[in-house]
Amino acid sequence: MTRIRAVRLRVYLMLALTVMLASCGGGAPSLYVLEKPKNVDMIVKMNHGDFWKTVKMGAEVAAKEYNVNLTFKAPQNESDIDEQVRLMEESIQSNADAIILSASDYMGLAQVTDRAAYYKIPVISMDSEVASARIKLFVGTNNYEAGQKAAKRLIDLIGPESRIGVMNFVKGAKNADEREEGFMDYVARYPGVEVVDIEYCESDEQLARQLTRNMMTKHPDINGIVALNEVASIGTAEEIQASGYGGKVKIITFDSTAKVMEMLQEGIVQATVVQNPFNNGYLAVQYAVQVMEGIELDDERIDTESRLIDLGNMLQSDNQKLLFPFVK
Amino acid sequence: MNIQPKRNMPKMPRVRESFRLQSIQTIITVSFTLMTILVVIVVSLMLYNKFSKTAEENAHLNIQQIIEQVNYHLELYVKGMQDIYEVVEGQINDTPDISSPLLREQLTTLLHTREDLVSVGLFTPAGKLVLDIPDLEMRKNTMLEEQSWFESARSQPQKLSFSAPHIQNLYKGQYKWVVSLSRMIQYKDHGTIKEGILLVDANFRTIDELSRKVSLGKRGYAYIIDDLGNLVYHPQQQLIYAGLKYENMEPVLKYAYGSYTDKPTGEPRYITIRTVEPIKWKVVGVAYPDEIVTTKKDLNQFIFWFLLVVCAAVVVLAIFVSAKISQPLRRLEKSVQSVGQGDFSTPIHVSGAHEVVQLSKRFNFMLHRIRQLMDQIIHEQEAKRKSELDVLQSQINPHFLYNTLNSVVRLAEKGKKEEIVATITSLSKFFRISLSKGKNIITLEEELEHVRHYLIIQQIRFKNKFHYAIECEEEALACLTLKLILQPIVENAIHHGIEKMSDEGFIRITASLQEKRLVIKIADNGLGMTRQIMDQLLTGSVRSGGSGVGVKNVNERIRLYYGKNFGLSFESELEEGTTVTITMPAERNEAELQERGMS
Repeated sequence: MTRIRAVRLRVYLMLALTVMLASCGGGAPSLYVLEKPKNVDMIVKMNHGDFWKTVKMGAEVAAKEYNVNLTFKAPQNESDIDEQVRLMEESIQSNADAIILSASDYMGLAQVTDRAAYYKIPVISMDSEVASARIKLFVGTNNYEAGQKAAKRLIDLIGPESRIGVMNFVKGAKNADEREEGFMDYVARYPGVEVVDIEYCESDEQLARQLTRNMMTKHPDINGIVALNEVASIGTAEEIQASGYGGKVKIITFDSTAKVMEMLQEGIVQATVVQNPFNNGYLAVQYAVQVMEGIELDDERIDTESRLIDLGNMLQSDNQKLLFPFVK
Repeated sequence: MNIQPKRNMPKMPRVRESFRLQSIQTIITVSFTLMTILVVIVVSLMLYNKFSKTAEENAHLNIQQIIEQVNYHLELYVKGMQDIYEVVEGQINDTPDISSPLLREQLTTLLHTREDLVSVGLFTPAGKLVLDIPDLEMRKNTMLEEQSWFESARSQPQKLSFSAPHIQNLYKGQYKWVVSLSRMIQYKDHGTIKEGILLVDANFRTIDELSRKVSLGKRGYAYIIDDLGNLVYHPQQQLIYAGLKYENMEPVLKYAYGSYTDKPTGEPRYITIRTVEPIKWKVVGVAYPDEIVTTKKDLNQFIFWFLLVVCAAVVVLAIFVSAKISQPLRRLEKSVQSVGQGDFSTPIHVSGAHEVVQLSKRFNFMLHRIRQLMDQIIHEQEAKRKSELDVLQSQINPHFLYNTLNSVVRLAEKGKKEEIVATITSLSKFFRISLSKGKNIITLEEELEHVRHYLIIQQIRFKNKFHYAIECEEEALACLTLKLILQPIVENAIHHGIEKMSDEGFIRITASLQEKRLVIKIADNGLGMTRQIMDQLLTGSVRSGGSGVGVKNVNERIRLYYGKNFGLSFESELEEGTTVTITMPAERNEAELQERGMS
């Protein structure tokens, strides 16, 4: 009997300690591990590319941690809005417990998102938003801020009297629009800086090269180009290198493919804005669990940090993991 | 024979007997159940403690073994790499000229044999490339002088340093995660001995895969840190860098070997630490006890259900067993109760436990004995009464004899010879019939004769104060009767009815057969008696003071011999007279008749 009392005492102590820790812990997200596994569908823009693979990796880590059955779905192409809508329908049909959506089109996915909400399936928006008031939460980079970071560095490089080209990816995608907006708003502070061209490459590398070529032909006096996503970055940088403008035209890119990193070391690309796709995936699943468990959310937006990477900081160990998420 | 039932049982509340607190069934059920449950709980607790402890220990041991295994593989791997490094260094040392194609060929072969070997490079202390295998174009902006492997080789020239995993950005092509081995070595360049930094890059994938494969429950994982506390491998490395996850590494850095339980976020985590000796990396296993010790949960459930089932079974069993024991007892009790109410004739048949059967057998035996004894007592009582009565009836009232003899003396004095003769003759006959060879039953004829002699004697004695008449049906004469039943009644009639009256008395005795009954009536015209006295006659409170054989005894004798339906009855009216009726069954003893006829 004394033993039992001792055990009980220990349990009480543990409980007390837990309560104390919990009250002192503050911001650290505590674990809401699901008793029974729940089905969460993650629908993203594209089924290839390091960026989405990293998102998936992060999501899988969280799924393991929180006891979630994760289904990862994506169309072949980022511009294939219809397919993404179809995938959403499919998830509604299969009655998923929650859907994490990275919408290819801000308006195009709105209706299907509302429908999911109608069927009481919580939808969490990740990476890029969708025009629906029924969204529970947005997890992703603060794209406006990321756009501003890019603009700031570019103007630092090329000076307050210069001409800039913008290579965007999909018109209508919320994150693309926000990055562009952030970039433009920052540039607007400098009356001497002129944005001479804005192109949309539809996340197509060849189209991006083509558009860059056209841009350089039309405006050979461009001092700097900003490319607003992974594919646009590769196309633009490669074209600039190929056409011999390397180093002369400063390039700020987005995301960190190996090609871009190579270009950074070569001095073609001066800096790149990297998001944290791993954390996006991870946090999206983590908050999906919270939503499913009915836990009150403090914020409607969860910003994951974006970083500006250049030669100087690319070898910092924390940045290495961010830039090269996969062990090769 | 009936004994009056004694209704003095205690009043019982109207509760079913089996549920009364004091009943055997309740006692057995409750105590049995409580005992078993207590024992089961104690045993379960002990087992639970033992099992859960063992399960926990096993789980911990298991985790320790897994981490040990990882550690062992890592050590092997690191030693293998160090050996390769020595080989590369040895080959470079043995070669007189660093630019010889033979050396390049040898090192390329070596590189091919080890799949996880990424590259070999030799740099001057200033960071200039001397030799690289495979032959790849260097990238610009490598900043190799700032990289950790270069710095540690320069600061600690003698020590083979083993870097944390990092991106290899030296050569064009892929960006690979590598672990770098580096040291300051000497090489010969066209005969001159120079110093350089030899770098061997090993693919980090081997370590990564090794660590990734570690599975400690569903959520558990392993991570690796170097001796400075930098993360070498962690499944959630990015989350930690981003500050979203926190790994409590402070205690980990303190220990080189061991296990402990840590609660950085409130949830207990079982931490196991092993150190990869050659490079001082630490392999740390993190497991969640509630996951790895699933046995505890299972055990909890199992014990809960086990208790429930056992309790249910025990209750059922206890009820069954107690019923089995107590029911025969209750039936026995009911039977005994009916005996208590006076029914001695029905034997008890109770089946059940051996003891109960034995008890009922013994009880039946006892009942039998009681019955026997009671019969015996009745028999003895009867016999006693009979013999008493026999004694009474055979008693010769000496007063009667004295009176008779006295009257004979008086007659003799007066010289009444005939009367003396008649008296003495009657007296003689009276006594002869009185004795009648000791027989109790005589014919009515003899009985009438007997009373006639008595009447003759009394008539002489009372100087013809009364007359009498004896009338008998012919058929009744041969009937059998108890002897000396008429004389006491006649004596009563004379003493109480006639003696004190002034007129002449008359006694009429009639005997007749009525429906197989012998009815004898003795009627007198004497004083009669009150109803009160008449009622008291048969209860014996009135003493006749006659011949000693009272009216009450006559009645009792008749009833004793012939049953309750027979006996005496009285009719009397004051100043009118009394009639006593005797009823007996009309029994004819043919043998006696014949005997009598013959004699």
